[in-house]
Amino acid sequence: MDHNTIVHDIVIVGAGLAGSWAATVAAREGVRNVAVLSKVHPLRSHSGAAQGGIAAALNNVRPVPGSGPEGPLEQLPEGADPVDSVELHIFDTIKGSDWLGDQDAIEIMCREAVDVLYEYEHMGCVFSRTPDGRIAQRRFGGHSAPRANYAADWTGHVLLHTIYEQALRHGVKFHSEWYCLDLIVEDNVCRGVVAMDILTGKVYTLRAKAVMFATGGYGRAYKITSNALANTGDGVAIAYNAGIPLMDMEFVQFHPTGLYKHGILMSEACRGEGGYLLNKNLERFMQRYAPGKMELAPRDLVSRSEQREIDEGRGIGEDGQGIWLDLRHLGREKILERLPQVREIAINFVGVDPIEDLVPIQPTAHYSMGCIPTDVNGQVLADANGAPVVGFYAAGEVACVSVHGANRLGTNSLLDASVFGRRAGHAMAQFVQSGAVLPPVAGDPAERNRRRLCSLLDNPGSELVEDIAVDLKTTMTNNCGIFRHAEGLKQALADIQALKARFKRARVMDKSSRFNTDLLAALELEHMLTFSEVIAATALARDESRGAHYRTDFPQRDDSRWLVHTVAHKNGEDGPRLSFKPVTINWEKYPPQERKY
Amino acid sequence: MSNNGAYPIVTVRIQRFNPDTDKKPYLQEFQVELKPGTTVLDALHEIKAHQDGSVTFRRSCRHAICGSCAMNVNGKNELVCKAPLKERLDRKGRVTIRPLPYLPIVKDLVVDRSSFWEQYQRVKPWLVPPENIPEKEFRMSPEEVAALRNAETCIMCGACYSSCQIIALTKEYIGPHALLKAFMRVMDPRDAIPGERLADLAGGDGVYRCRTIFNCIDACPKGLNPTEAIETLRKLAQKRQAFEAARAERQKRLSEPIPSP
Repeated sequence: MDHNTIVHDIVIVGAGLAGSWAATVAAREGVRNVAVLSKVHPLRSHSGAAQGGIAAALNNVRPVPGSGPEGPLEQLPEGADPVDSVELHIFDTIKGSDWLGDQDAIEIMCREAVDVLYEYEHMGCVFSRTPDGRIAQRRFGGHSAPRANYAADWTGHVLLHTIYEQALRHGVKFHSEWYCLDLIVEDNVCRGVVAMDILTGKVYTLRAKAVMFATGGYGRAYKITSNALANTGDGVAIAYNAGIPLMDMEFVQFHPTGLYKHGILMSEACRGEGGYLLNKNLERFMQRYAPGKMELAPRDLVSRSEQREIDEGRGIGEDGQGIWLDLRHLGREKILERLPQVREIAINFVGVDPIEDLVPIQPTAHYSMGCIPTDVNGQVLADANGAPVVGFYAAGEVACVSVHGANRLGTNSLLDASVFGRRAGHAMAQFVQSGAVLPPVAGDPAERNRRRLCSLLDNPGSELVEDIAVDLKTTMTNNCGIFRHAEGLKQALADIQALKARFKRARVMDKSSRFNTDLLAALELEHMLTFSEVIAATALARDESRGAHYRTDFPQRDDSRWLVHTVAHKNGEDGPRLSFKPVTINWEKYPPQERKY
Repeated sequence: MSNNGAYPIVTVRIQRFNPDTDKKPYLQEFQVELKPGTTVLDALHEIKAHQDGSVTFRRSCRHAICGSCAMNVNGKNELVCKAPLKERLDRKGRVTIRPLPYLPIVKDLVVDRSSFWEQYQRVKPWLVPPENIPEKEFRMSPEEVAALRNAETCIMCGACYSSCQIIALTKEYIGPHALLKAFMRVMDPRDAIPGERLADLAGGDGVYRCRTIFNCIDACPKGLNPTEAIETLRKLAQKRQAFEAARAERQKRLSEPIPSP
């Protein structure tokens, strides 16, 4: 073993909820050498930006009897009939997924939700409370009972800090500000990763018995996004390039309330607490699209409704691309207590105080339902038949279990990352402790990656990375957005090919080895070009409309042909080769129905 | 850079330093357009993307929750993602951006926060729960939760730490960020070791090092008050045994509903 190689029992890439949960569980189950590497400090992970809540049917509150769907909530009196159940959570999630979620996985997530919530609480997570001291809950879109467990509107922040503290407590080793460059898989066995210490620019091979990706999503491929600048889908592209397939990539969630022109998340809790959406005529337009649920319809439906209002000329703002979010009637006290962060964001970035004024918002790219296919234990699958990639795990937004199917419900992502991060940690501990050996690595993968970095740095190039990135975001937004059609998707594919050619001439301005974020931006762009092609190709293939994937040329759901997951395999320099995987459905309990709200 | 005259041009002065090649830090001037709503972070991005890719800084969420982008702007520590460029310009239309002071510089605006994180870890930021864990949640009153609000929203950006005059003198001091975290654990009715924590915090590197200069309050981009938390910890440390006894008493009822007022 040379000085370019580091050995751990388990290496986890990404330190958000999924990664930190897995690390904590593996370490406390006795695995000695657990390491997490993250391109940002763990507490900078994007899980911390989640706001509104985490789902679990705790039955701590209920609507005041007789008050209607928008009426006030109260703590559930002792001995009163519960209003929520795990079964209801399961059904809401299945319906939210437009029947594309795997029902065995959804069942596991909703059942374990209750336990995960209490575990967070016992670890010291600071939740908001009911008067009698239970975890507070609010309404959320697509959920038929108030089951969003929250800490004001910084729920992700408190969960992230809590689980990171636990990982430290259990002696997890963190490689903070290390950037993963490559995944080493040979003969369907994962052998480690190659990563760069950003501080020094040195490249290492990290060998491990088990490797996990918890690298999050890719919202940065779009112009308007709620996602952090770090969310460039690195893990998605690295896995794909290493021969791992990607599942259901056509399903991209647009959140209905991103801050106008910024895309910054204005929590769904705004509507959960009773906020309205208004068009330029100050009309609650959701009446036309989802009269039963109004603003609390699922995100795909609300974002489409907003986009229709905008496209039909009823948008607001200088370019007509905005919608009003009205919180004024909630009153000062409620906004200060429950939505303080949202208020601060509105004041800081658009100069509007939601207590006094309407807030301009617009749909914003938010969440990837698809990505790396796994089983319910985080085990990554090599193909549509479910063959495992030995020693390789994934959880969180980068994984596709699939619990969200074609559309995720709000508050189910923090839950997904927690439940399946925890399960993956347990599965890796069992794998390592049941005699897994350190698999050998052929050749010198670190050196291969060093050469790749050198060629990028040495490229005299005429193209600025930023200019290519802007053009990618533009075509993804225009052609792979809320409304899609064959012509636009073909245009996107052509554009991406042209952008890939331009990337060959990309120039990295910073030539130094120390903390070279200019080099990282080039690598991130290359990753975005890689998976964006898969999004466009799978969206073109799926000629139906389901959940967040809406084809104006095929506006109906087509269960006879498309009740399947799309599995995209890398196919040399050609576009992806597609295969299809059946959806796990309990035909007796949850057969597909028409999805109406 | 291009300018069609639509927006005024302003000057951004950035402190540059690469320890591998530079003898000492120096200021470099860049020009950017002042578009409506431009933040200091937007200006840094524009410079990095189109003028000089080697300008180096940390950033991620761009809405003041991840804590990456604390820097020193015109002599004051803040998160550049929520700093409006227009409001930071002097009369000559200039803004000056330096790394957080009193910390080793990694490169340009990136500092080495090692001592910051060591102190964070030193105060055992995790909760130590009592032995009897209930089947459901521990019960906490809304008032007990509200008492933690001053600490729970801390994003660990380091703005307070690097504005602290005691930290400027010695990295042995625990620092306002870690003391705020310790305050959060001490005040949490679920924590079983407040006495042990207070004993440690009352030691030589802890709460008595604070000279109540209040820089941390001015620097905090989340409007938190570490000084007040430190004052509270001092008071509690003086009556540590009574506080421990009260906590033990409280923990007997942690599984019971909070009585209505």
